[in-house]
Amino acid sequence: MKKLERKDFLKMVGGAVVGTGTGYVFSGAPFQSLQWLVEWTQDQYTPQQGEEKYIQSICNACPDKCSISVRKIGDRAVKVETSNQGCPMGQSLVHVLYHPGRIKTPLKQAGKKGSGKFEQVSWDDAVNTIAKKIDTLRKDGKAAAIVGINESHAGISGMLLDRLITAAGSPNIYEDPCFCSLSKAAVELTQNTEGSIYYDFDRADYILSFGARLLEGWGNAGAMHRSFAGWKDRGVRFVHVDTICTRTASAADQWVATKPGTEAALALGIANILIRKFGKRSSGAQFGRFSELAINQYTPAKVSELTGVKQEALEQLAKEFASARRPIAVTGKGGQGVSSSTMEMAAVQALNSLAGSLGSVVKVKTDKGLGSVKLDSYAKQGLSSASKARGLDEFIASDAKADLIIINGANPVFQSTYGKKLIEKMKEASTVVVIAPLLNDTAMYADYVLPSLSSLEMKTEAGGPVVTPRFKAIHAGDSLIRIARNIDGVKQSFPWKNYTALVSGTSSQVIKSISSFTFPAKMMSKELEEAQKSSAPTSDYPLAMLPYEITLVGDGRGLALPYVLKGLNNTVLTEETLWVLMNPSTADEYSVSEGEKVDLESSRGELDNVRVHLTKTIAPGVIAIPLGFGHTAYTEYATDKGVNPKEIMNNKIDPVSGTADWWLTRVKIS
Amino acid sequence: MAEMKRRWGMAIDLDKCTGCGTCQIACSQSNNMPIFQDDSDIAKRVTFLDVMQVTNDNDENAQYPDVKVAYLPKMCQQCEGNDPENPSPPCVSVCPVVATDVGDDGVVSQIWSRCIGCRYCQASCPYEARVFNWWKPEYEGTFKESMNPDRSIASRGTVVKCTFCDHIWKKERDKAIANGVTDINAVTYTPACVSACPTGAMVFGDLNDPDSEVSRLSKSDRALRLLHPIDKLRETDPELYKKRIAMKNYPNPKVYYLTSQKWLKEMIGGYKHSS
Repeated sequence: MKKLERKDFLKMVGGAVVGTGTGYVFSGAPFQSLQWLVEWTQDQYTPQQGEEKYIQSICNACPDKCSISVRKIGDRAVKVETSNQGCPMGQSLVHVLYHPGRIKTPLKQAGKKGSGKFEQVSWDDAVNTIAKKIDTLRKDGKAAAIVGINESHAGISGMLLDRLITAAGSPNIYEDPCFCSLSKAAVELTQNTEGSIYYDFDRADYILSFGARLLEGWGNAGAMHRSFAGWKDRGVRFVHVDTICTRTASAADQWVATKPGTEAALALGIANILIRKFGKRSSGAQFGRFSELAINQYTPAKVSELTGVKQEALEQLAKEFASARRPIAVTGKGGQGVSSSTMEMAAVQALNSLAGSLGSVVKVKTDKGLGSVKLDSYAKQGLSSASKARGLDEFIASDAKADLIIINGANPVFQSTYGKKLIEKMKEASTVVVIAPLLNDTAMYADYVLPSLSSLEMKTEAGGPVVTPRFKAIHAGDSLIRIARNIDGVKQSFPWKNYTALVSGTSSQVIKSISSFTFPAKMMSKELEEAQKSSAPTSDYPLAMLPYEITLVGDGRGLALPYVLKGLNNTVLTEETLWVLMNPSTADEYSVSEGEKVDLESSRGELDNVRVHLTKTIAPGVIAIPLGFGHTAYTEYATDKGVNPKEIMNNKIDPVSGTADWWLTRVKIS
Repeated sequence: MAEMKRRWGMAIDLDKCTGCGTCQIACSQSNNMPIFQDDSDIAKRVTFLDVMQVTNDNDENAQYPDVKVAYLPKMCQQCEGNDPENPSPPCVSVCPVVATDVGDDGVVSQIWSRCIGCRYCQASCPYEARVFNWWKPEYEGTFKESMNPDRSIASRGTVVKCTFCDHIWKKERDKAIANGVTDINAVTYTPACVSACPTGAMVFGDLNDPDSEVSRLSKSDRALRLLHPIDKLRETDPELYKKRIAMKNYPNPKVYYLTSQKWLKEMIGGYKHSS
């Protein structure tokens, strides 16, 4: 074989390189890859153009019903204009509307409950099956096993579910605990009337808030913010009582820092001074016993020791409250999620009674309602066979059987401290119906999921819907009307073809001025003493865990929106790990450093892996944990982000409202 | 330089700001902010407006409960440099491709499609108000339906920032011209964040107009500019101030923060306050 010369070898290699190069260039490949490069780096989505329109509407996100103007391009809604009147929820309406997680058709559980496997069914199928089930239960004398759970402020659909459950013959209709449901219990006890507490913030000249984080989603956020701006302009003094330096505490004119869980004691301490020093009296029943309680049990010295508020500060607060013309003492601790015991609410309301604000700036609010229900014999039998629990948590915790559960918009599996127990009840029930626009923690355990509308798809008092309903979703009220009109004996209570007949008028609120007040002195004395004992530090659980809410996330409803996630900073959630807040002195005591991962343990269980951020905005001995995280299922944006503190939070049920008072939980770092 | 017709500026009353986040949502919606699967990932996300939480708990002497928190909506501060008549923000002079410039309205513009992604402007920005698209801006699923056609969408590898919603400004001008109004000074507008703010903490207007609310607020004792300690010298030592600005170009932002709280004044202004 001829030896290959070096020169020839180089020629061959050179030829191959030149040949390949030429071939490559002429093949067009370089231009193709350049094209890919350009597309990869410069690929831009261009939003569709169209005719621009502004449609006037009303935001249905809360009962406040702010006017909005929605900008539309062609058929698309692109922006909600709130003209300095709305809240973040109003701004997010388009994202709720176009959320990729929207449920498109009625769904039926295809696997075991909780499996997350659903199959599509038709509306007729779903409605007929549910209606038939209700019919059967009624005829079998098990009407009381039909249960309804409404979200707070459900509006028309809430009233319709209420009506459906009653007409079917069950007393078991409940509401997701909120300020309204909690204050309803307090109003019934102290003012002997139906309705929740209504504060006329725009007429008040002094605001004393007992842990009500008014600027953090409390009440109707839009109206609350407008009132706050009004206080600044009118020079209304705003004092906030809280253990944590929250946004509200800092925005207030004065922040009164208290030891955790002592708000009621503080109210009674102020009552003591109002009665003794300022001669404030109330014509309410049992005022004598109340003043005895306040004067003997809650002396300034004792209250100062209990709450950590200095006596002079206490006197000053009482003086300001007494000298204001229309002061309001606000109760209902929390922001979007509220938790206060009925006795705490009563203690704060007692201040309003002493100041003469009851009936003037503190009133009672009720809904007009839909009128009386026509009960047939099955319904009468059902209603007489069982009694109602006082609240949702009490019902879940009880042994009461639920065979058919309809959940309208609420997410109690996530929100309630009894979420786990509710899952058991839902698994035992033969039919669980969840009505919601997005799949959530609760819907996972449903047999049927019925898609409901987002706010912009609803007809409002301002006119037709801004956007025609997407997919096969219908108004929650329409689902309920369709079910009801398929049941003999129930349908006569549902003369309406659809929800639009109810849009104007029925949901409007009635505000009553009621100044009468009954001081539940005996119960207050007993309950508050017990609460003091149970909230005191123990050697097993020395730390107090208190909730707080993150901007936009609130109690968890906002977390499914990606623009909300954009607002989270690096001491709230990083790499899907939740952060809790702690005072550096507490951290020293338990040898915890900034950013360290710890487990929190209460008598109910353990929360694994939360990171600690050290800040002096938190009282020593307190751990502040954000609410709203740790969804097990709530669209891809909110699922598995952080942990849900409700799992280990206090679940002691309030004897009046039947709702767990989860505000303060004793925990340890483990 | 063309004659300045408008000098759009903003004043934000931090004592009225509750940190509710409405401005941030409105901004994101109006400016087509990208949506990633996990926007809690701080390194990846793109926003024009940050509602920053600030607190004085880092002070050595701070003790619970003598602490405060406040919220500070931070966007592009629209700097103009030492001479408002001839604006020279720090980011503009470093841009090699004139992707960022100052118009006759005082707004520091940014043209996404012209940007080559060198990030000089981002490095020169004193306020970290500019964001780089490290990833291709995604708009997951049906969220695309809610996008604003007036706002173009940036590519991967470009710098973006708040432009005081100049797409709204442009639309208002177009509308005026279509109606036969050619006097630009007759046209006003409001950026998305300002028109959403539920407490009226944000005020927007023309700083050239002495009667506008924003001009009035910018001259208030409560007004400060973000980390702009040279402002102190202007009052205390005008001679030294003149010397300093002759030597160096200061950012001179057109966004003013208002507060009566001493700690917040010191934190924002970056200098100790006597009052």
